[in-house]
Amino acid sequence: MCKTCGCAIRPTETHHNVMHPRPHFTVVDVVQNLLAANDVTAAHNRQHFDDHGVLAINLMSSPGSGKTALLEATIHALKDRYRIAVIEGDLETENDAARIRACGVPALQITTGTACHLDAGMVHEALHSLPLAEVDLLFIENVGNLVCPASFDLGQHLNVTLLSVTEGDDKPAKYPVIFRASDLVVLSKADLLAVLDDFDPARAAAAVRALGLDIQMIHTAARRIPSINAWLDWLESQLRTRVLPSTAPPSETILDQEARSPCA
Amino acid sequence: MTALSVCTLTHIQPRVSRARIQEVGPRRNVLSQRVYDGIPVHELSVCQALLTQVAEIVDAQGAPRVVERITIEVGPLSGTEPTLLQNAFLAMRSGAASTAELRIDRCPVGIKCLECGAHSETRPNRLICVHCGSWRTRVIAGDGLRLLRVEMRIGDMQQSPDPAAKAQHV
Repeated sequence: MCKTCGCAIRPTETHHNVMHPRPHFTVVDVVQNLLAANDVTAAHNRQHFDDHGVLAINLMSSPGSGKTALLEATIHALKDRYRIAVIEGDLETENDAARIRACGVPALQITTGTACHLDAGMVHEALHSLPLAEVDLLFIENVGNLVCPASFDLGQHLNVTLLSVTEGDDKPAKYPVIFRASDLVVLSKADLLAVLDDFDPARAAAAVRALGLDIQMIHTAARRIPSINAWLDWLESQLRTRVLPSTAPPSETILDQEARSPCA
Repeated sequence: MTALSVCTLTHIQPRVSRARIQEVGPRRNVLSQRVYDGIPVHELSVCQALLTQVAEIVDAQGAPRVVERITIEVGPLSGTEPTLLQNAFLAMRSGAASTAELRIDRCPVGIKCLECGAHSETRPNRLICVHCGSWRTRVIAGDGLRLLRVEMRIGDMQQSPDPAAKAQHV
């Protein structure tokens, strides 16, 4: 007999809780993604993009690997053919948004304060200030960080991770989570390969392949415009396959509805 | 034993930053919440989301509850560091969960080979088949970041504070 409550208990079972859970004690089993709320908002953002035929690309990398420089060169090359907008994420300053605006396209700066990444809610907030109906290609330049941004879906269609050749070719092995989330890896500052003897693009590619990925790795050197042609070709091929809204204009878009009752 | 499905989730955002959007007009209060200055790690956001989900489960019980233990799964490929999450939890736990223990299951990385079909356990940065060497694999374990279990007893945290737990706060 159980000494705690007097119930019948088999001699082989000594642990009281195994036989009968404590009274007035509740155990709730769930299998619930901890970032489910973020994912719901991300799906909502994606719906905004699809309703307006916008291709949204999330750019991630370490600080200083050339995200903004690549965007500047991309905007100069494509702005006559596509309507481009940029959401910039940084802990502080509006420097990057100012650089993008100087290229002649709209840019919104999100300053995250202490947060090391953008999340879907921050991007959603920014969307309400962007003329999405007048945008074909939206870049979201995430906070420079190879760790945290990987965990948060923003609603983007594609993730692009930059790996500058000054960083070391073992970065994909050191930061597998972010590279595993990528649809394309851009080897930036590739013009410096000529003077760097310790970065082997083949080793970087092997480290990406070791993550079970068969993704493209494109070389760019944003300061030398012809060298970003492979990147531009990739972008244009993605733009051709983006989700376009139906030919009939929607009678009421999500953003129109939210103008009356904010959905945040 | 009660099971809650994922459809109980709501649009509650994990956010512990003081994020703001510049030159967009007045700040909306959704972007300004608790700030933990000087701790720029996303584990705070994850912890905030965890506490929100636990609070929803407690509220669904319909009677005051004191949460004793929360069990979560954190895989090496989830991008979340268990030790930092544990620290964030100790700093942020509140309400019905203010004395709760956080148990973290560190599920190892498991892959299934799409070529030979073998299952293998491997490292987070080596997701190629241990048996045939193919890189055509699928991660089947170790990328999860999930709430698994909430254990609680009837009681009101404010009326009957647990003396042992109080000592932990010192």
